[in-house]
Amino acid sequence: MHRYVPLIPVYLLYGALFVIGSQVSGMWQPMALLAFYAALGQAFNIFMGMTGYVDFGYVAFLALGSYGMALAISSFAESLGAGVIVAGLLLALGMATVLALAVGAIALRLRGAYFAIATIGVNEGVRYLIEGARLWGGSEGIIISRPLREAFGPEGANLLSTFWADTLVYLIAMLAAFITVQYLHSKIGYALMALREDEDAAKVMGVHTTKYKIIAFITSAALGGLLGATGWVLKLTYVFPADVFAVHYTVEAIVIVLLGGAGTLLGPLAGGMIYAALKYWLSISFPGLQLLLLAPIILFIVVAFPQGLIGVLKAKAKGTFWERVIV
Amino acid sequence: MALLRLENVTKRFGGLTAVDHVSFEIDHGEAIGIVGPNGSGKTTLFNLISGVYLPDEGRVFFEGRDITRLPPYVRARLGIGRTFQIPRPFSSATVRENVAIGALFGTQSPSVEEALGIADHYLQMVGLWGFRHKSAGALTPVEKKMMEIARALAMKPKLLLLDESMAGMPPKEIDAMVQFLRKIKEEEGIAIVSMVEHIMRAVVGLAHRVIVMHQGKKFIEAPTAEALNDPRVIEIYLGRKEEHAPRQSP
Amino acid sequence: MPPALAMLLGNLINGAILGSVYGMMTMGLSLIFGVLKIVNVGHGAFIMVGAYIAFWMFTLLRLSPLVSIPIAIAVGMALGFVFFYIVIRRLVGAPELTTLLATFAIGILLEEIAKFLWGPDYRGFNWEVGKLFLGVTTIPLSKIYALMASIAIAVLLYIWFRKARSGTAIRAVMEDREGAQVCGVNVEAIYALSFAIGLGLTVLGGTLLTLFVPVGIHPYMGGIYTLKAFVIAVLGGLVSPWGAFYAGFIFGLIENGSYTLFSLIPGLEPFSMTQFLAFFLLLVILLVRPTGLLGVKP
Repeated sequence: MHRYVPLIPVYLLYGALFVIGSQVSGMWQPMALLAFYAALGQAFNIFMGMTGYVDFGYVAFLALGSYGMALAISSFAESLGAGVIVAGLLLALGMATVLALAVGAIALRLRGAYFAIATIGVNEGVRYLIEGARLWGGSEGIIISRPLREAFGPEGANLLSTFWADTLVYLIAMLAAFITVQYLHSKIGYALMALREDEDAAKVMGVHTTKYKIIAFITSAALGGLLGATGWVLKLTYVFPADVFAVHYTVEAIVIVLLGGAGTLLGPLAGGMIYAALKYWLSISFPGLQLLLLAPIILFIVVAFPQGLIGVLKAKAKGTFWERVIV
Repeated sequence: MALLRLENVTKRFGGLTAVDHVSFEIDHGEAIGIVGPNGSGKTTLFNLISGVYLPDEGRVFFEGRDITRLPPYVRARLGIGRTFQIPRPFSSATVRENVAIGALFGTQSPSVEEALGIADHYLQMVGLWGFRHKSAGALTPVEKKMMEIARALAMKPKLLLLDESMAGMPPKEIDAMVQFLRKIKEEEGIAIVSMVEHIMRAVVGLAHRVIVMHQGKKFIEAPTAEALNDPRVIEIYLGRKEEHAPRQSP
Repeated sequence: MPPALAMLLGNLINGAILGSVYGMMTMGLSLIFGVLKIVNVGHGAFIMVGAYIAFWMFTLLRLSPLVSIPIAIAVGMALGFVFFYIVIRRLVGAPELTTLLATFAIGILLEEIAKFLWGPDYRGFNWEVGKLFLGVTTIPLSKIYALMASIAIAVLLYIWFRKARSGTAIRAVMEDREGAQVCGVNVEAIYALSFAIGLGLTVLGGTLLTLFVPVGIHPYMGGIYTLKAFVIAVLGGLVSPWGAFYAGFIFGLIENGSYTLFSLIPGLEPFSMTQFLAFFLLLVILLVRPTGLLGVKP
């Protein structure tokens, strides 16, 4: 039971963000942004942080999740009413999982550099397939504002794409945190730790490394799909391939996990929130320059702090009361 | 039926034949030693048994089952445990967590709680219980070797491959370790293969018989004292007069 | 000759010529991997740099891309030395993840600097030097020059690797780092040199690319070329620059050949499909023979 203790501060934090966002005027968007990036960090961390492999095409999962929701809404909004959101989430989950299986089946048999190579083109590849085969609107994408308005009325549609989209992101963030804690303290967590530290030794100790890599990969992908379905398409009411397959979201995810500390619970959370705050501030002060400033930050962190902020704190916390909490 | 049987196992790397048509058997609960000078193929042999390498020729049988093409993790589940010549701890995890990995993924399927308990048990046996919360990367080399042995034992293996596990230990500790391994062997019925290059102490007193490797081939297989005192064996160690094995049987 | 066949042949010829540039643009990637064992995930950004060099030299100074070749190599090598000594050198022996992220970040940095300096708009230029008529197709001379330049540089590099001391040292380090060290090779200097040459070749690849595709130059153009370069590199065995060069030709043929095929199928957008094909090929090769189909010796 005590494995869930670290979740308490996390859920309190998300709760606080939600309360601040809903009660203080003008804070809904910034708080939602913090929650989104915290969620992105936790979702991405389940794979990159726990296995030590970098999936350079991660954004494709969010993109497919967006398509899932968009397709569900544009086809079933009228008939299913509010249930279409559930349908959209399920479809998003399904599509992201299918892609994860397809890519993972090949990429996860490969090691380190070869794995990176296999994933480097995933977002380009999927995007060009959609545009080339003119799937799902091809390069023009899908716009769901009209089906939303027709099914739910202008006020309902507005409520969905503002309040509900962001609230769902909070829920997904909480789900990601829960799954993280589950994995960390279970056989899965031990297997992932072993394969991250020394994959060959892990195999000799009996760890079926490919199986566990797949588990982490699909979990991370599925959560990404859910995020895309809610925080992206539901909120923006359109999905457009050139936008959703942009590699810079993968960059952001990587920065967040590095900043906070890979493989931990609090790390990506902290990293996500710091990053979101930074991004928000940058978008006001230096619009369009976020990545320009981020890239050298990644370089610096990677070289100077391989463990990230939380990693450093965690090392200091060993043997003390805080060890239970800073996970 | 033998526990482990190798039939004409051969492994080549380019033009070099590292292991050349080696055949032997080990029974349940037996202890044997594999000795040989540097480059004689001992480590490759271990890698072939644990599945890190697949042989070019020949077959490997475990409890009668052909495991020649099986991946390492399956062999571990079947009961082959090993340590590494240069220890490979999971450095950023604790000692306890390291040993628990062995328990979790070995021949048993314990829960995480049970695995930690098993880890504690073996840590106490090797004397590392006080260090259980320490980061594995922070141990001394000898402590790491002890942890590796504990980790392999936690797998509850049927066959334990010890790869130069006592290199770097002072003689008294080697003797203690040999006593410990004899006890484990009796208590848990584990077969042990102890592989050494020149620390004959690690083999005498533990192994009933010894296989001497030379240039990838099985050079001699004989009872321990006999093999280690054979002048031909001494000669393949470059004619140096090695520490003669004491004339006592285990 | 039926028009479809003529189109196919024409496309294949173009593809082979394009392939030489593709090969040139990938040689750097393979060299860096072969010597330093680093995957330069930011590869495409350097191609982008080369493309911009060609664009600005032409637009501002009326210099043809051919004349820009030495400039491209110089810029690439300068960037190589800078990034090596500031970042890469500190990461020797670090886990793979770290160097992957570092090269990734370097790529992003270059893209953002380009966007900051030159804006996100698409740029292009037009270098008219006449055409060559070949029966089934007409090829602009600029592309022929690209082909000739690629081959010339590849040959020069080959000779340098075989004859020059530093070239031989690089080959030694590729084969056996410790052995080379024991023979007195300054491995760190070789690493720096290889990284610089690798990036020099990559930037050059971008410049030569503009002889083929003189439009569509923008900060984020590199992404698709990173993908293609990886397909080619893996095809060629990942460690050998020569393997990459040959594989480039093969890839050029496949790409252009498939364009013809795709354009015959209604409902498909052929250009995007060929780009998707690159990704598909990558997965297939990695599945079947990750060590590459052309095991060419470095």
